[in-house]
Amino acid sequence: MTLLMTASEINGLPVVTVHGGEDVAEVRDVLYDPAAGRLVGLTLNKRGFLAGRCREVLPAESIHAIGRDAVMVVDDSAMVEPDAAPQEMAHPPANRNVLGNDVLTESGVSLGTVRDLVVVVGGAGEVVGYRIDKADGRPGYIPLPAQLAVSGSALVVPEVTESFVTDDLVGLGAAVDSFRARLGLP
Amino acid sequence: MSESFRQAAGRKVVSRATAQQLGTVSHLLVTADGRRVAAVVMGKGKKASLVDWSQLTGFGTDAVMVGDEAALRQPADAREHAAAEGKLELIGRRLLSESGNELGTVDDVTFDPASGALEALHGGAHQVAADAVLGAGSYAVVVAASAGAV
Repeated sequence: MTLLMTASEINGLPVVTVHGGEDVAEVRDVLYDPAAGRLVGLTLNKRGFLAGRCREVLPAESIHAIGRDAVMVVDDSAMVEPDAAPQEMAHPPANRNVLGNDVLTESGVSLGTVRDLVVVVGGAGEVVGYRIDKADGRPGYIPLPAQLAVSGSALVVPEVTESFVTDDLVGLGAAVDSFRARLGLP
Repeated sequence: MSESFRQAAGRKVVSRATAQQLGTVSHLLVTADGRRVAAVVMGKGKKASLVDWSQLTGFGTDAVMVGDEAALRQPADAREHAAAEGKLELIGRRLLSESGNELGTVDDVTFDPASGALEALHGGAHQVAADAVLGAGSYAVVVAASAGAV
């Protein structure tokens, strides 16, 4: 079964080592590459009451699994200094943040604004959809193709997206597969 | 015959040389990979002492036997200090799958008193074979994704 979570649900999860059972950090923020439709990595906070920002970052390639209750890494070495992380993580492009962006279809209809990312958990975390605030103010979920055009203030999705807007995460799970099938994607 | 961590807690630790009771079992410390008993922990905090599994002459149903008092030692590394504080005790620890989902908490652990090898972890509806354990620490016992539901 595919488990979907929003990025805001991932924020705050403990980062736990598989071969140690220790909580070594917690998720501060999810870094996302909107053009590629994938997680780049996670920024981290230290654990504990006086937790501050943790200097090290966790590149997506080093994530063992993202689950409901924890982000798993094999061991401490998964967390690296920003300089040692992939380029896109050390120096994120300015147009990274899609929250608040307008979602436009190819014909120019606005579906709403981006509120949150929807991530497939279990693996390294593929981003498969957005939670949006629809024009009427109600929340909705849209599936994403693997790639799309982003500018920093708006993103353009295929026309057909409009008919795949769902009201909840469960509906989105089913919508992603049929949506991608319609677009001829794997 | 298998033993359980719950049954072992509170058992006398006796010197084989003098027949004196040296203390009682507070809990059992497992290796970081969570497969074996590493040591018997007696007492807690500053008064805690450890006996390595290899120093035991017998893990009996009524007493844990050690050669003599010299087998007792102070916590040596960070892991053993954490154990002395009770932070690594398996019972009550979170049971976490390697895919990052909580399965429950550990209620009890069975092990072979002859070898110190863990046999299984019991937690709520789950029973996890020891060879599915990937790691055990202060936050959680991590088990292979195939071991439990999800």
